[in-house]
Amino acid sequence: MKLKVCGMKYNPQEVAALQPDYLGFIFWGKSPRSFDGEIPGLPENTKKVGVFVDAPPNEIIAKIDKYGLQAVQLHGNESPEFCKALKQHYAQKPVKIIKVFSIKADFDFGLLDPYENSCDYFLFDTKGKLPGGNGYTFDWKVLQNYPATKPYFLSGGIGLEEVESLREFMSRPEAKYCHAIDVNSRFEIEPGLKEIEKLKRFKEKLMKNEMNVTPSLGKRSANSLYHANEKGYYGEFGGAFIPEMLYPNTEELRQNYIRIMEEPSFKQEFDQLLKDYVGRPTPMYFADRLSKKYGAKIYLKREDLCHTGAHKVNNTIGQILMAKKLGKKRIIAETGAGQHGVATATVCALMGIECVIYMGEIDIARQAPNVARMKMLGAKVRPALSGSRTLKDATNEAIRDWINNPVDTHYIIGSVVGPHPYPDMVARFQSVISEEIKWQLKEKEGRENPDYVVACVGGGSNAAGAYYHYLDDGDVGIIAVEAAGKGIDSGESAATSALGEVGIIHGSKTLLMQTQDGQITEPYSISAGLDYPGVGPMHAHLFRSGRGEFISITDDEAMTAGLEVAQLEGIIPAIETSHAFAIFDYREFKQDDIVVINLSGRGDKDLQTYIDYFKL
Amino acid sequence: MNRINQKLREDGKLLSIYFTAGYPNLDDTVKIIAELEKNGVDMIEIGLPFSDPLADGPTIQKSSTAALKNGMTTEILFEQLKDIRKTVSIPLIIMGYFNPVLQYGVEAFCKKCREIGIDGLILPDLPFDVYQEEYEDLFKKYGLLNTFLITPQTSDKRIHQIDNASKGFIYMVSSASTTGAKQGFGAEQQSYFERIASLHLQNPQIVGFGISNSDTFAQATEKAKGAIIGSAFIKHLTQNGVDSIAGFIKSIR
Repeated sequence: MKLKVCGMKYNPQEVAALQPDYLGFIFWGKSPRSFDGEIPGLPENTKKVGVFVDAPPNEIIAKIDKYGLQAVQLHGNESPEFCKALKQHYAQKPVKIIKVFSIKADFDFGLLDPYENSCDYFLFDTKGKLPGGNGYTFDWKVLQNYPATKPYFLSGGIGLEEVESLREFMSRPEAKYCHAIDVNSRFEIEPGLKEIEKLKRFKEKLMKNEMNVTPSLGKRSANSLYHANEKGYYGEFGGAFIPEMLYPNTEELRQNYIRIMEEPSFKQEFDQLLKDYVGRPTPMYFADRLSKKYGAKIYLKREDLCHTGAHKVNNTIGQILMAKKLGKKRIIAETGAGQHGVATATVCALMGIECVIYMGEIDIARQAPNVARMKMLGAKVRPALSGSRTLKDATNEAIRDWINNPVDTHYIIGSVVGPHPYPDMVARFQSVISEEIKWQLKEKEGRENPDYVVACVGGGSNAAGAYYHYLDDGDVGIIAVEAAGKGIDSGESAATSALGEVGIIHGSKTLLMQTQDGQITEPYSISAGLDYPGVGPMHAHLFRSGRGEFISITDDEAMTAGLEVAQLEGIIPAIETSHAFAIFDYREFKQDDIVVINLSGRGDKDLQTYIDYFKL
Repeated sequence: MNRINQKLREDGKLLSIYFTAGYPNLDDTVKIIAELEKNGVDMIEIGLPFSDPLADGPTIQKSSTAALKNGMTTEILFEQLKDIRKTVSIPLIIMGYFNPVLQYGVEAFCKKCREIGIDGLILPDLPFDVYQEEYEDLFKKYGLLNTFLITPQTSDKRIHQIDNASKGFIYMVSSASTTGAKQGFGAEQQSYFERIASLHLQNPQIVGFGISNSDTFAQATEKAKGAIIGSAFIKHLTQNGVDSIAGFIKSIR
């Protein structure tokens, strides 16, 4: 949600320092806030809006040119033709037209029709004695009947006291096209003199309000290049290559997942659990000593502080609620190292639902503590005895279970893999990570976009969550870190982008490690969470399209980097995440580059591996 | 006319047998096919083994793993089959997962099948819509029939779509299960068999999954044109070897 502060007169520079998205300057002589003077230099991301009431075109044009206005807000009886002519005058220059409509108890939305093609935004203000600046709100419920898809500004008497009702408003469907909140008179010491502290508090609350309370669950533009399309394809990757036996199960999910995610009651429950049970928002921590050592501004997104110790639980919370909405009575899941198994067993305990976890026989032997955790949480752990008896075979077993129990069982896949809609659904649940990064970074650095987002990739769920809201922002570099194991050419590796070919694994077309004959090969990494022979279709597409930069890191490099983070920052990362910290030997950054590393999990589960490796 | 269509026109119920190529021994393929034809089997599904057969139960999984261990590859299978039409005349179908076909090259695979005299393919994880959009023309070009699966959960609407897209038979999966999982048919299966019969589909149906003996064969073919035996046959091979095929077939009908 963007913020516009209107009625600049005496202290625009101070307001600008808060970095609102829009600053409004009123060019109407009768207003006590009428502006006449010089506009100071503004932050790059703050747009200048000129507010006019039935001014002649040449006057508006003169102001646009004089002040370099990026938008005009028309508060009078300007006709659609008037708006259009103005828009055409600036065909070469991006000057946005905002047309204002005043609302009292109700509103005839038919009035908007003629303006549909002649302005860029609508602004809804309270109908009062004056054209704006009346100091009280209108009943936002009127907007329930908003028929258009044009983004609008919500205006009229909004103050600090409205934060709660804004929170409620934003969770409702009619807020879908609300582009910005416009404030003015309720943040003034006198007309035109803004109360900075109050504005600052409002802005913070507004950002938290939006991000914490109404998770967007992966809302995004329809023409995205890097998100799944309707059929679940990311470029050439994805789809649902499944036998007919699985069709009804996945089809039921496909037809319902977006609808269910958009239900306000679903969002509310999801958000509540993320907050009260998982402990979100997770901190965004500036890693000072690491930053000094590597000469960049390094932030750590602390997913390791989630309940159960990793980001996995964001997805299992989402999917257990989804399963409940679909009326499922039984949950199955696959797990490699046991992290996703624990996160699934946890939410099943929370909801009192039967839970069966498939785990490779070999993994059961080497991850005993997690097996015990799952059992303690009430889950049944069934060994996968086929094939190589690790993660891919556990996944096969879970799929076979689902084939045999198509009606009452929901399969909680733990990563952005599997047939459509799983990769997209899991990415949406994990997108809360980048959603938080955005507002947290804005608080800390004054901008939402870092220069780079870095994450380790096995199947790729923590990476999908960390990249999600940045995928279509070309100014944000995406760095994916894969496990090279003992070296890419060693024959013991899990670097799928380097070693994989296009193929089908677990119902998805993606890059996967396989023989020339199309048999899937067994990957290797010291980290049990990265040794998957495939990669989520989103990541295959990021790799092939060149949008993502892929780096592979060996066991040794990852272990060394993990130890370094422990000693520089006092944080012991999961070995998966340690791979992401090892990029600094390969990749140089500029001193002022903001690099966000998704700290996907904590290292407690890996203690034995660290002990053995470093002889601790 | 394709051998499958010819066979489907014949009177009587069809017995089709699935086996995993390269199992129990790498070079058993031709011998098994010859034995099956000699003993009156109507049609054969030659299983191309795959490392991750996610629709299959333990029996076929194990035979696939063993076949791969024996060294079976797509190339070797084609090599083994190159002269098969000199001696065998019943319909031969290759059944397998899509990934090995994709790696071989779908067109190259189809071309090779035609050269050898393979009549059709069953690729359970190649979805119906992808087949129609991307591969139907290739299959036609090389005279191969593609067979789709239906299950008790498949809606009538989808069954009719599949029926319209099929040119041979429909592979009717008997119950919601992986291969070899169920023993015998209950009331649920009976009503499913009846439901499908009442749809009066253009393509005959051949029932697979859960057929292991003469009783289940008789039940499955009461309404349907034929039935496929896979896991039970492989179990028999494991226990009794390739020379015992005649006895197994006689025990079915």
